[in-house]
Amino acid sequence: MNRIFILTPLIVLLIICIFSLVYLLSGKDPNKPPSALLNKDVPIFESSSLYNAKDIIKTKDLKNKKILINFFASWCSPCKIEHPLFFEIRKKYPELYLLGFNHKDPTSDAKKYLKDDGNPYDFVGVDSDGLIALEFGVFGLPETYLINEDGKIIYKFMGPITMDILKNEIEPLL
Amino acid sequence: MSSLVGFLSLVFAIGINFYLFLSRYIFKFQKQKFNLFIRFSSLLTLLSFFSLMYAYVVSDFSNYNVFQNSHSNKPLIYKISGTWGNHEGSMLLWLCILSIFSFFFSFTKNIEDNFQKLTLIIQAFLHILFGLFIVFTSNPFLVNSILVNEGLGLNPILQDPGLAVHPPILYAGYVGYSIVFSIAIAGLFQNTDDEWIYVAKKWSLISWTFLTGGIALGSYWAYYELGWGGWWFWDPVENISLMPWIAGLALVHSLMMVRGEQVIKKWIVFLSILCFSLSVFGTFLVRSGILTSVHSFAADASRGIFILLIFFIVTGFGFLVFLLKEPKKSNALNLLFINKVSALVINNILMIIATLTILLGTIYPIIIEVLYNKRISVGGPYFNSTVIPIMIPGFLLMSIAPILSWQTNKINNSKKYVLAFIILSVLVILQSYFLDFNTWGFVGLLLGFWIILASIIAIFSSYKFKINIKFFKIINPHVAHIGVGIAIIGITCSSVFQNELDFNLNEGDKFNVNGKTVLFEKIETTNETNFQSLRGKFLFDIEKNQSKEIEAGKNYYPVSKMITSEAGILHQWNKDIYFILGDQKNNEWFVKVLINPFVSFIWLGVIIMMYSGLIAVSRR
Repeated sequence: MNRIFILTPLIVLLIICIFSLVYLLSGKDPNKPPSALLNKDVPIFESSSLYNAKDIIKTKDLKNKKILINFFASWCSPCKIEHPLFFEIRKKYPELYLLGFNHKDPTSDAKKYLKDDGNPYDFVGVDSDGLIALEFGVFGLPETYLINEDGKIIYKFMGPITMDILKNEIEPLL
Repeated sequence: MSSLVGFLSLVFAIGINFYLFLSRYIFKFQKQKFNLFIRFSSLLTLLSFFSLMYAYVVSDFSNYNVFQNSHSNKPLIYKISGTWGNHEGSMLLWLCILSIFSFFFSFTKNIEDNFQKLTLIIQAFLHILFGLFIVFTSNPFLVNSILVNEGLGLNPILQDPGLAVHPPILYAGYVGYSIVFSIAIAGLFQNTDDEWIYVAKKWSLISWTFLTGGIALGSYWAYYELGWGGWWFWDPVENISLMPWIAGLALVHSLMMVRGEQVIKKWIVFLSILCFSLSVFGTFLVRSGILTSVHSFAADASRGIFILLIFFIVTGFGFLVFLLKEPKKSNALNLLFINKVSALVINNILMIIATLTILLGTIYPIIIEVLYNKRISVGGPYFNSTVIPIMIPGFLLMSIAPILSWQTNKINNSKKYVLAFIILSVLVILQSYFLDFNTWGFVGLLLGFWIILASIIAIFSSYKFKINIKFFKIINPHVAHIGVGIAIIGITCSSVFQNELDFNLNEGDKFNVNGKTVLFEKIETTNETNFQSLRGKFLFDIEKNQSKEIEAGKNYYPVSKMITSEAGILHQWNKDIYFILGDQKNNEWFVKVLINPFVSFIWLGVIIMMYSGLIAVSRR
């Protein structure tokens, strides 16, 4: 009886450690909550182009093509890290429509950023007040969404995408 | 340069500890020489820490850690506190405090030489584990690969004086338990006389006092900085600090039992191991980023696994030694219906149940996500409805426990207590009847006042009143309990009787708070060195000549593009009036006013508890 009492802490320790280990190894990250929007329709939005205020993009323009939406800003350093990857994607998948949303950024800064680092996007929408990001449930920058031909969100990633994520998670969906 | 010095001394210190660890088996040392080595390694670790701090102070952005977490525009105090405001630096602080504890422990007199040496060897072992963790997964001395002349800034929410000192004090509490752990393990190995229990008692009191201070600072910070109007949120990180705190409280109380006839050695050893295990477990949960909370650090699986391994080794080792080298049978307990020992045993059982309840609630989301792949969150409702009821019998007992006899079943002056309790109950019932009745409010107030009243009766009926140090040492347990009583009253009033008022206001509007007229004077924006501030200025009680000014608003930190809210709090002895400035809509500002009665009692109670913790250290 006494022995069992003394063994208990070790058993509890083992259980806690096993669960924590499985959790850590499963690559789950509490900072990446599953999106409530997954497999839902793209939220309704309307945004003007960074370069031409009269050029407007709306939700219904997105039908019948695969679209990668990326929220970025000139002040976001992780965005800078993932930026070159969009050129790779561009080269590899010319049909994929790349839509960038410039989040809470002064226009001049955004233009300068895309001039310096290059502009991989087919369309750069302005989201100066962050309302579009709010509709998409953006948690932090950068965030990337993949939309299928039916206008449904089929993938979401928080944080800078990397080569691994591109290969293992995004490419199978393309 | 400073980074190089820091890294080398860190590695060198780990090397020395490795050498000391081997000394148990290979190289035998004289006590003198051994202690010198320990102190030398502590100084090296300190040097390492201060070189990192130096890099922060001079904004040396060639250090990657400084680049990531500092900015040259920051005021000096936040450059200094930036040292531990990030994962790598805070782990170095952890190690640094560990070695400071070893340093001071090496000066302990009146314990057996071999025993002291063994304790320090276990400390050296811990030093190696955490040192390697820092070197391999969280090195704060990495060189920045690009040349920059500006840093990325410190998380603005951390730019606060309270928070600058919160981590070191909290860590002093957490890490202090390492000494208690090492003492207990050494005690198991050597089976010496019970002298070590007195040593352990001193160190566990020190750790507990620091931990109390650290937790209180953290919740005080949450109170005025997060702008939610509360001071405790059952956030995972708060739970993590509460677990070793409660277990530590049980430990301190168990160590008191040594003063009586019986020694519950086994139980004390168990608690000592548990306290430090919970500290390391807390470090694991926070550092692995496995739980989301207000303390969000970058999550990194390799770090998580490494520190999980440390947790497993330390705790597993501790409990395994406990299993194999069980202390010799202690005397049977003299458990009468109600004497001091049985009261302490009941209190210990309750505290352990409370700790386990919190532990379950904290790790439950992990278990559920692993098993069912569902994300759940366990919060206030669970903890409030489980932990508080568990603690209530303990609170009832603590008011009389210090005056119970060690041996017999008798309570002196029992009639006085019964009478006092009845009168008090009637008063509280009357209070609840005339003001709005609330069950928790009733229970909390009754408990709080009962603890204070019974402790005061005990002081005056059991001891002769004198003003000298000895008297204060004798009544110290009662004083500690009075502190708890005061804190319970504060907690009850501020949570149960909180009042919330919402307004939509234009500048120049007058409104009514608690029968006093308040003027919303104006909105003011100013540029400070590292942030822009937006403040709503309020004049409280304008009918009187000495109206008080309250400022509530927000700060915008351009470097990290973050907005923090700054609550405006008017402190009065019996209530805090807490102003939160919301957003502007249609030219009107949303203003929320919370009236938190008796919040100051919480902090007063905590200060009293810390005071008696310190007094108890000096008492044998």
